[in-house]
Amino acid sequence: MSDAAIRTEGLSKRYGRVLALDALDLEVSPGEVFGFLGPNGAGKSTTIRLLLRLARPTAGRGWIFDTAAGDVRAAHRRLAYVPADVALWPQLTGAEILDLMDRTGPGAGAAYRAELVDRFALDPTKSARTYSTGNRQKVALIAAFATRAPLLILDEPTSGLDPLMEREFRRAVTEARDRGQAVFLCSHRLDEVEAVCDRVGILRAGHLVDVATVAGLRRLHRSEVEAGFGGAVPDLTGVPGVDQVVDAGDGRVRFVLSGPPAPALRALAAAGVTSVAVREPSLEEIFLAYYGDGPR
Amino acid sequence: MTAATITVPPESARVTPGRAVTVLAVRQVRWGAAVVTALAGAMSLLVAVTYAATVGSGPGVASLTSLATNPAIRTLFGEPVALDQAGGFTVWRTGTVVAVVLGVWGLLAVTRITRGAEEAGRWEMLLAGRLTLARAVALHVAVVAAVMPVAGAAISTALTAPGTGAIGAALHGAGTALLGMFFVGVAGLAGQIFPTRSAATSAAVAVLGAGLLLRMVADSTQALAWLRWLTPFGLVELSRPYDTDRPLPLLVLAGAATMVLAAVPAAARRRDLYDGWLSPRTGRAPRRALLGSVTGFAVRRMLRPLAGWSLGIAAYYLLIGLVATSLTEFLMDNPQFADLAAQAGFDRMQTAGGYVATMFALLAIPTGGFVAARLAAASADEAGRRLAPLYAGPVTRRQYLRAEITAAAIGAILLAATAAVATWAGVTAAGAKLGLVPALAGTVNVLPVVALSLGASVLALGLLPRAVPTAGGFFLLVITERLTLPDPVLRLSPFSHLAPVPATSPDWTGAFGMLAVAAVLSLIGVIAYEWRDQRG
Repeated sequence: MSDAAIRTEGLSKRYGRVLALDALDLEVSPGEVFGFLGPNGAGKSTTIRLLLRLARPTAGRGWIFDTAAGDVRAAHRRLAYVPADVALWPQLTGAEILDLMDRTGPGAGAAYRAELVDRFALDPTKSARTYSTGNRQKVALIAAFATRAPLLILDEPTSGLDPLMEREFRRAVTEARDRGQAVFLCSHRLDEVEAVCDRVGILRAGHLVDVATVAGLRRLHRSEVEAGFGGAVPDLTGVPGVDQVVDAGDGRVRFVLSGPPAPALRALAAAGVTSVAVREPSLEEIFLAYYGDGPR
Repeated sequence: MTAATITVPPESARVTPGRAVTVLAVRQVRWGAAVVTALAGAMSLLVAVTYAATVGSGPGVASLTSLATNPAIRTLFGEPVALDQAGGFTVWRTGTVVAVVLGVWGLLAVTRITRGAEEAGRWEMLLAGRLTLARAVALHVAVVAAVMPVAGAAISTALTAPGTGAIGAALHGAGTALLGMFFVGVAGLAGQIFPTRSAATSAAVAVLGAGLLLRMVADSTQALAWLRWLTPFGLVELSRPYDTDRPLPLLVLAGAATMVLAAVPAAARRRDLYDGWLSPRTGRAPRRALLGSVTGFAVRRMLRPLAGWSLGIAAYYLLIGLVATSLTEFLMDNPQFADLAAQAGFDRMQTAGGYVATMFALLAIPTGGFVAARLAAASADEAGRRLAPLYAGPVTRRQYLRAEITAAAIGAILLAATAAVATWAGVTAAGAKLGLVPALAGTVNVLPVVALSLGASVLALGLLPRAVPTAGGFFLLVITERLTLPDPVLRLSPFSHLAPVPATSPDWTGAFGMLAVAAVLSLIGVIAYEWRDQRG
């Protein structure tokens, strides 16, 4: 027994000869915003389809708050979902779709929904046929946030939103977390993941390669250091943890630092360092380090 | 950044945009085109070859020829001419059915590959190239239109093979092809007028139905015979293949088809992408009725199509009712013909009840088509990923599919009731006697066949979701084929397991048997649907 919002054990899905998801073990806690990252085709959407029982796992199991994911009637009373590519019934208006989702889903508060419609600046009288990608996404987001369901599963929810709406989205996610809701967020917007996620899982070719906090991921990775000297630039080759030393000219040196920084700092101090700038890698650089090089 | 050199192959070495789009259009319709062409040829060949065996000469021909004098027969099946020849008989027996099959296929294909593709957003990238909207529309429509002469040639070849007259065969093939092209043009035009595929298809089907009804009305009375010049079905009939072989009506039809087809690119030129000449208002107050449950929502989505199907069925059965008296009186006055009918199992055709019972069997086709179309819509909703939000809620697969089946069944029952009321009103207006309750019993009696169509569609949705429209179409083809099987007495042969209610009491065993089969098919379909992954 556990009180995890999402829990999977060996969750796998095979499409013909392609193993889309390979023995995924994952746990997302209530009140946590979990970022799920991975390149296209890594198996992110497959994971969501399995959690929602839109597809059946080839092996393994999944639970939503300790209810088997297959028990749709019970499990789906506690979650709301925003698909990556929102498809709406073209003959209904935005308001009618929100109504339908409200009445067939876990249920929503009318006041909070009205507030969200206002905040996301949606015109709910328009028929869904006339909505742009961003507006369709807003309908799905409003429907999901309005439920206040304990678990929100969001698949690329902001790909069509403008920066103002994106800010609104981040606010809504933060409010959800503060209320104790768990948020499972698939996204390619690394700045967004960095801004809102507590923990990040990284998926590659159906395997979960890492799960850590954003800060933890950074620590595992290398920082870029630029140091300036009043006098001669010291030779830093051979100092433990220091790599790719480049003389930037003008009494400056650039290198990449990994592992504990003490030996490098001692060497810099000994040479009479006048300025140090340390830049932590962005999530994008971490992401690229996972996928950009090395065999997939 | 280094300057990039862009090498463009010489114009002559590249496929022209027009050609590329033509290939695209061909690829979207080639299988359907092959099937309808083969079907048109095969139906004509089958009837022409078996003419000697089924009708032959002598009394069979004599009684068939006497039919020509009866307005009811003319109304329902067109004016019979040259029934003493295999060619003339084939034209009368299969002409309308083949024309409707070709016309409906053509209009569905056109709205699917033009407005349907545009509505789905597939044309945006296409039109970012060198092609204009008008040209893209024109090329797609032209490809479907080009199928019609091929199908027409198949019909002519099928008719000449068993040795019928070449002129009659050519005229009938050409007439059918022109009729098909006319409706291809109508669908193309509807696709410019309406901003959605479903509205464009409905409008084109309505024009086809109106054309057919107008032909029926024109054939019902001599005084209205001139109306035949106003409908493609009437013009084809006026060409009288194997009789007087008149080319003039076909020239008129050719002119009309050319005009409609030429109007398509002209109409496309004056509109924006995604827009139509008649675009509905984009904003409106919410209508919250029937959004509260999955079943309610299924019923809500069914209501609009139901209205369209009801209208068509009501018009047809009103006409059936109106001509009832004239047909039954004809049979009473021609005992030798009534005897022939009796030999075929219709010993009560002289009564209004017996006659409408026979006509009610036909109700299985549109009603079966309606339920198959509802399941096809469910399959399209799934493929379009519109079901994902529903399934993300506490809605099980079984619950959703049960709702769809329930809605389709409610629709079928309402269509049966509509047919009964329309027939009753027609018969009563014509001064004959037919109670409303017997009429209802007659139409409800057909529902087990409709249930089979529903069961087959549910099974397809569970096992082969992409094939739901095909499965529905195939099922309808099978029952249509049963209705048009060669038969010495009209083509009124109903299904062997359907009793002619209200003329006789229902065949309970047959009805329950069909319902049981339908239930088993549905059950397998539902279980398969629960087990398989969602598409999209």
